[in-house]
Formats: sequence, structure tokens, C-alpha cells
Amino acid sequence: MTIVLNCKGFKLPRVEREKFVNLLHLGLDYDRNAGLFSIKSFNNIEKVIDAASDILGDDIVFLQHCIRCGKDFPCRGCNYIELCSTKNLPFSCVCPQCLRVRKNFETTYLTQF
Amino acid sequence: MQTQNNMLWVEKYRPKKIDDLTGNDEAKALFLEWLKNKRHTKKAVLLYGSPGVGKTTLVLAASQELEFSVIEMNASDTRSEKTINAVAKPATSYKALDNYTKNKTSGNVLFLDEVDGIAGNEDRGGVNAILKVIEESLVPIILAANDPDIEKLRPLKKVCLLVRFQQVRIPLIIALLQKICMLEHVSAEFEALERIAQNSKGDVRSAINDLQSLSEENHRLTLQDTMMLTSRNKDITLDDMLKRYFSAQNIAETSTMLAFSNIDYDDFLLSVSDNLPKRYSNPSELAKAYDYVSRADLFRGRVGTENWHLLKYFYNALTLASAINPLSYTPFTFISPPIRIITLFWTKGKRSTLDAICGKIGAQCHVSHKTAKHDFIPYIRVLLQKNSKSPLVGWFKFTPEEVDFLLKMGRF
Repeated sequence: MTIVLNCKGFKLPRVEREKFVNLLHLGLDYDRNAGLFSIKSFNNIEKVIDAASDILGDDIVFLQHCIRCGKDFPCRGCNYIELCSTKNLPFSCVCPQCLRVRKNFETTYLTQF
Repeated sequence: MQTQNNMLWVEKYRPKKIDDLTGNDEAKALFLEWLKNKRHTKKAVLLYGSPGVGKTTLVLAASQELEFSVIEMNASDTRSEKTINAVAKPATSYKALDNYTKNKTSGNVLFLDEVDGIAGNEDRGGVNAILKVIEESLVPIILAANDPDIEKLRPLKKVCLLVRFQQVRIPLIIALLQKICMLEHVSAEFEALERIAQNSKGDVRSAINDLQSLSEENHRLTLQDTMMLTSRNKDITLDDMLKRYFSAQNIAETSTMLAFSNIDYDDFLLSVSDNLPKRYSNPSELAKAYDYVSRADLFRGRVGTENWHLLKYFYNALTLASAINPLSYTPFTFISPPIRIITLFWTKGKRSTLDAICGKIGAQCHVSHKTAKHDFIPYIRVLLQKNSKSPLVGWFKFTPEEVDFLLKMGRF
């Protein structure tokens, strides 16, 4: 099974001190009040995913944020997933629906120019 | 002056605002946080990632938006210890005087682009000089590199905040191309844009260049048009290029091939020039072809290392040289590599001997190598031909091989 996480905030089970420190070193941030992890630095993002998968005992994927409609979506519906060098990493993208619907593009982009 | 119409789209649509930059939002946020923070934990930042992902654009857009004055040194500048100290030290040692004028700025930033390209004798001591500048700097220093893993950058990585740029994703490139098509009134098929984006392999700059070259003339772009778009092949040989160049059926084919190649322009120009007599047997056709090649050479000189917007004129002239009479093409064996380069290779020994002789004359007579070569050697040769054991030999400290060389040398 694959676990889907949102990079803005996700929960991990309690881990020993050494593993927790390692997560922070790799670039995660921890909100003590909410008990949520978030990604602070993306330089070691592949290692973050490996460490989180190890803790959760399952594969993990991150939701993508669509820059056009603002919705979060998973990579699995994307036509270019095989060609993508950053698939399932928590980066912004354009969702398949928005990419195909030109009207949506016109309303979003032409207002910026 | 360049008008908006004949500008390269890459320059025309280079984002002026940080928000307009495509992709790498996370890297942008990290970089901006560092740049806005007056008390930097690290004085320098190293932006790294493959070409065309927006490193330079982000620096320029952010500096403009946050009102920094950018002092830039890129790969076209020599970046030895001496030049870095001459340019970077003053730029980073004093706060900007602009703060005391009406137009307040946030100060200077030093931007060293393509630091992984610091290499060779010209850039000797460059990395150590940068380290020293970072240590003493009063202003933020930004470095950019394609490959940060090379050995010589290791000391720089230790003192820099590292910001990684990922390849820009295909959907984001398609979205950007759609935007450009709309602004340039290009009617483009979605599949065509999709193909250009896939072909670019995450390089936004090359995707925009491809779009411009394929659609600028007709303002229409179909999937069929992109069929000519071969994947950028960085390993294509000079022979392959010559074969494709001389066998092209029309101007458009040659033009596209040149625009998508990554071969050294100067070597290719020399090779075309060498092979033209084999291609055109008719003297008037050959003369026309050489005329176009000479124009291409002229534009290559004007392009230099900065004026890349003139490159299309270089392509145009070179394209025309191949298309004087496309139907008369019959396969032939190419002369490659260029004769001039082969000649330089074969005469390397002779040139170094001559250089040594000029050096000895220069040291004794206090003249330059050039003066020694042109004003002294002809007379010394005549004297040696009359008497090879002339006292001059001892005075100049010529070796027997050098005397022999002077006696036998033809022209120089």
C-alpha cells in the first residue's frame, strides 16, 4: 500500500531521538503544538522520503499543488509520470485537468499580465 | 537597437518578477528568505541545478524586486585570483553609496555565475580568492553552478547555503509555452507543445528556443512541425553534422539542424569552408557559397561571447551557403577535422622552436616576440646562411637544432 502525504503537514509515529534528529537534519520541521512534520529544506528530499517510508513501513508519495486551480492532487494521474525526474516529490505542478482545459489557463494567466 | 519583435523569446519572456518564474517554488522561497535576512548565518548561497532551470533568472528578478544592485561575473569573464580581487573585493568591501541618494537601494550583491566553469590557467587561484572574498564580504554573495559535486567546489560548499534547483516538470513547461503562444498569437496544437516540453528534458530555455524557431514565421504550430525536432544530441560528431548539412534538401532543414546542434561553431565553420570545393564543382556556385561563409564568419565574430541574439544571422548565412544548388549534391568524403586545426597540430613542434628562438632574441635585444620574428629573424637567417658558425650563435645561445631550424625554415 502507498501512503499519501501532504508536505504542508503530516504525522509520523513517535520515533527514537536519533531518528527524530536525523529527520530534522534532512530538512523536516516539527510543529510541537500540532504534532505535525513539514518540509523545510528540499535539498535532500529523496532521503527524507526514504527515512519517512522507513518509519511508516510503507511507500509514501506526496500530493502535488496545482499552480492553476490551487487543488492538491497525486502524480498517478499524470501522463508524463514516466518521463518525470521528480515524480511523487512535493513540488508544485499543473494538474492534468488544468493542463488540458485552455479556458482555465486563460482566466488564470492573462490576469497576471 | 533591438526591438521587442526581433528579440529572442527567451529574453523577451525572461521573468521580471519572482512570481513569474516557472517551477522550483521551494528553492525560490529558501533563496528569498536568505536574501531578505540581513543577518545571514551564511554569507554566500550556492544555487545549483541543471541548465535552463532558472538560477540566473531568479537572481536577476529577486535583485530587481528587492532593489539590490547586481555585480555579475560569469563564464565569459576570466576569474583568476587577480580579477576576482580587482572586481569582487571592492564590490563586497563597501556598502553602496546609493543609500545616501534619493534612489535608495538595498546595496550590492555579488553574483558569480557558473562557478563550476572556473578552470584552467586563466582562472588559477579563483576558488581560493572567492573563499577569501566570502570571508571578508559585507554584502551577500550568490554563486551558481550546474554541477556542485566537482572536487574543486568542495571548499565553497562548506561555506555556502546550498539551494538545489530541480528540472522543471513537463506540465509546467507546457503551461509556460501555452502562455507564450497566447502572447505571441501563435496557434499551437497541444500535442506539439507537449512534444517540445518532453524534448527539452526540463530545460525551459531550450523549450522556448524550440518554440520560437518552429513557430515564429507562420504563427502556427502543429505536431507535424515538431517532427523535425530531434532530441538534443550532445554527442553528435562533426562528420554527422557535415553530412546532414551538405545533404539538406532545403534551407529550413539546414536551419533547424544548426539551431538544434551543440557543435562548436568555429570548428564547424572551418570545416564547411574546407569542404565547399568538394561540394560545389561549378566556380560561380563555389564563389557564392564562400561569400555566404565569409558573412557567417563576420557574424560569428560579432556574436563573440555576449551577443547571442546575433546568432540567427550566423545561422542564416551558413544555411544559405549549403543551399546554393541543393539538387547537385552527390556524396563525398569529408575533410575533417578542419585543415587549420590539423595544421596547427602538425606544426606545434616547429612553432614552439620558433617561439624559443624569438624568446632568446627578445631577451638579448630587449624586443617583443613579434618584433624578433618579423624584424630580426630574416637578417639572422641570411647571416647564418653565409656562416653557420657566426659569433651570433653563441651570443643568442642558439642550440644546434635551433640553428638548423633557422637554416631550413621556409616561410614563417
